Amino acid sequence: MQDPKIDKQLPLFVPHSSISTAVNKTGSWRFFHPKYEEKTAPCIAACPVGQDIPRIEMLAFRGQLKDAWQTILDENPFPAVCGRVCFHPCETACNRANMDDAIAIHHLERFLGDSAITTGSTSELEIKPSTGKKVAIAGAGPAGLAAAYFLTRLGYSCDVFEAASEPGGVLRWGIPAYRLPRDILGQEIRRIENCGVTIKCETPVTGRLLETIHKQYDALFVGCGYGRSIGLKIVGDEFARDGLDFLNSLHREEKMSFNGTAAIIGGGNTAIDVARCLARLGTAPLIVYRRRIQDMPAFEPEIAMAVEEGVRIMQLVVPIRIRETAGNSSSSLPGYELTLQKMKVSKKEISGRARVIPDGEDTATLTVQNIFVAIGAAAAALWQFPDSKESKTLTLSHCAFFEHKMPLIFGGDLTSPIKSVTDAIASGKQAAMAFDTYFKHGMDAIEERLANCRVGAGPALSMDIYLEKDRKNRTAHIVSYDEIVTDYFQTAARSVPSTLDAGQRIRSFTEIESTLDNNAAREEAGRCFNCGICASCDYCRLYCPEMAVKVENARRSINMDFCKGCGVCVTECPRNAMALEEEIK
Amino acid sequence: MIKVLEGSHAVSEAARLAKVQVIAAYPITPQTHIVEALSQYCSDGTLNARFINVESEHSAMAAVIGAASGGARAFTASSSHGLAYMHELLHWASAARLPIVMAEVNRALGPGWNIWTDQTDSLAQRDTGWIQLYCEDGQEALDTTLQAFRLAEAVNLPVMVVLDAFYLSHTFEPIDVPDQEMVDRFLPPPSPRIRMDTADPCAVNQLVTPAAYMEMRFNTQLAMEEAQRRLVLIEKEFETIFNRTHGLVEATHCEDADIIMVTTGTVTGTCRQVLADLRSQGEKVGLFKLKLFRPFPTDLICRHLKSAPKIAVIDRNISFGAGGIFAQEIRAALCNQDPHPQVFGYVAGLGGRDITPDTLMEIYNNTNNQPAPAEETIWIGLNQETVESWRN
Repeated sequence: MQDPKIDKQLPLFVPHSSISTAVNKTGSWRFFHPKYEEKTAPCIAACPVGQDIPRIEMLAFRGQLKDAWQTILDENPFPAVCGRVCFHPCETACNRANMDDAIAIHHLERFLGDSAITTGSTSELEIKPSTGKKVAIAGAGPAGLAAAYFLTRLGYSCDVFEAASEPGGVLRWGIPAYRLPRDILGQEIRRIENCGVTIKCETPVTGRLLETIHKQYDALFVGCGYGRSIGLKIVGDEFARDGLDFLNSLHREEKMSFNGTAAIIGGGNTAIDVARCLARLGTAPLIVYRRRIQDMPAFEPEIAMAVEEGVRIMQLVVPIRIRETAGNSSSSLPGYELTLQKMKVSKKEISGRARVIPDGEDTATLTVQNIFVAIGAAAAALWQFPDSKESKTLTLSHCAFFEHKMPLIFGGDLTSPIKSVTDAIASGKQAAMAFDTYFKHGMDAIEERLANCRVGAGPALSMDIYLEKDRKNRTAHIVSYDEIVTDYFQTAARSVPSTLDAGQRIRSFTEIESTLDNNAAREEAGRCFNCGICASCDYCRLYCPEMAVKVENARRSINMDFCKGCGVCVTECPRNAMALEEEIK
Repeated sequence: MIKVLEGSHAVSEAARLAKVQVIAAYPITPQTHIVEALSQYCSDGTLNARFINVESEHSAMAAVIGAASGGARAFTASSSHGLAYMHELLHWASAARLPIVMAEVNRALGPGWNIWTDQTDSLAQRDTGWIQLYCEDGQEALDTTLQAFRLAEAVNLPVMVVLDAFYLSHTFEPIDVPDQEMVDRFLPPPSPRIRMDTADPCAVNQLVTPAAYMEMRFNTQLAMEEAQRRLVLIEKEFETIFNRTHGLVEATHCEDADIIMVTTGTVTGTCRQVLADLRSQGEKVGLFKLKLFRPFPTDLICRHLKSAPKIAVIDRNISFGAGGIFAQEIRAALCNQDPHPQVFGYVAGLGGRDITPDTLMEIYNNTNNQPAPAEETIWIGLNQETVESWRN
């Protein structure tokens, strides 16, 4: 029926080839080449210990919680502690804040730290073969413990000498339990001990012990902190109790009862801690501060929470006299009369803070039942820096190194630019690297070696880089928000854990904030841009018009036979983990 | 079975009966009804085809190119700006020798924004290597679409079935919709000559240097020329099965005519009435319906038109600076004939303005009254008041 002439085939001349197009080496067209070039995320650069935050969040998002936790441990032995007490400058630097809200990095750090504790994870740290050298460490605070932890990993035998009955320093005797439960602290210290660190409590480093150390050890790290309070030095100052001493007694679980009102003199974190603890003990705390509230050195969220808990703040007053008073009627209690000089703001500023001067002769009096002083602290007299004329010295960002009888490093609050727990840990890590370099390459090599371990351009040092692992390949370039291809990210609210309200808080020393749950933590980690690092999103491979991106053992590489240098991979990389370079042929 | 269908749905029915395997389209008035019905058929299972929703006509054409490259019988439809947006891929489809069928509903291009009929959109694509067939009514649209698949697959060239907007696309007429069994006899499943297969990887349509490009183009030209011969055969086979034929061209009373009116699309229907009226008055007038525009049937044009003294070509299109496109091409086809007729080029009905029997009478009378065309292009039905207002 059908006419065969209709479907008779015509000659068909179309380009067709069964030879693989692989013969066409499009790589010869190239005059730019892409490369995988990991960069530095702003959060890492802002972190005093240089933790690999984008990688930690990437692993947490994938559910590799133990790997994420282990990544923290590479740089910091205290995830559960720092997740609670660090003032998290990482979040201030977070690029995500430009899109919606910064990543809740500290909540995630705490989540990972707590998960490891709850699940009983054991750390799998690489410990270098023994160097045969012994390092003595004075003070089991965050600096001393960090120094011991990192030195142990580098193959040094460490003994920590601690004057108090238990290790932890400020973490145990300073920071109140509502911010850092002691069992969490205990677990993290135990893990450090399990690495092989020996902690000798109730063993203050006296002059005699120092002589023994000189004989039996190869080096000494001093991280004894600011344990000695500065006094008021006014008439009647014997009636004022030392704030640090009060916190110490509280943590020792000494029975203390206070009536009526309490004046706390000072404006730093210790003053806030004392006031908030007193609120929990049933007094009405009143902070007396010489400058204005906005000038207080205490961390802002802490001040806000103190106010919520009923702490009142009296600003621009300086105590000049304390006098004991007897209760003059049945309704008033015996106590003290505090005479205050009123202050006013001078037009001049001193390093950003308002300078205050007496406001004429104007004074005020205050009758309170208790007075506490928290106006600063200093190192114990024993720990004066050696005379620089008698020793070779090296000043580092967080430490001071002296070659004096034996190699000696001062760290922690004694030398850190910022008096924080995380900076203290940073100084312990810096000391470990400095000692190791000293023993292997000499004093003169320290500065350069440490400079090579810097994260970004900042002072933070990375142990991962020191050990020449993956992070050493990252550039110091700090990824900015406009380098993130935000088309790949959707806005999402920051996960916030539940907190007790002020009414619940002041009834006990129960921890205020809770830990994120698994789902919330995963979602939060998924919000992270992972600035500057390869998160294996694969867009480079998917968009490559020449299929020149290879993936082998989860690592990507570019087949230069076919990469024609179009740069699509670099443009599409959501997180700036690639770079395009001109090729000179 | 006779059904009352609008022209658009006559095309949809043909695509369904042709058992197309892939449809990719983007809606645009006045084409939308065609693919709307087909998408319904795909979703309710009436038609076992893949309907690919796309974000543009460019992608629609790219998708059917992909489908046809894999050997599938592929269909799309467009109009006006949508067709213009496909332009580069129209070249690709023909040079890649892919037997794609597209329904193209003639619509004016903006600005001024206008959804009504005008042939400039399809004629602007005349050099893309697509076969073009202009339909007069719903039955022809259905039949031509069925033939289009057969023709496309016979010569490995894409085919554009062209319909006037509204006058055809949206007008309901009684249409004979054939049985599937009859259509299957006429149009067997495709046996594609180009069929990319992942089991046998190859590269197609890669770089062609000057050493071979010209031969490639000549090969396409041969296929285009062959298309006319094959369409004659296809029409014959169609007639034996369906007992209907439309012809590549249709010449009515041309043998003795003093004036032959040349029409395309729905104007032909109007002109049939004018022709009957004039013939009854003793006027020696003929009607030449041009259906096949690419390949251009020069031989048929010469055969039917060369002996008439005057030819009046009605163009519902304009090539600015040259005139009506059909008139240009017919003039060129006849110029080497000795003697050859005077060719009067008329532009009428742009942007959907009605071409009524009166319009066609005006054209006839003007042609009759002039010994030779006074101008290359004569515009019919211009509002003289508006035009005069531009002269100062």
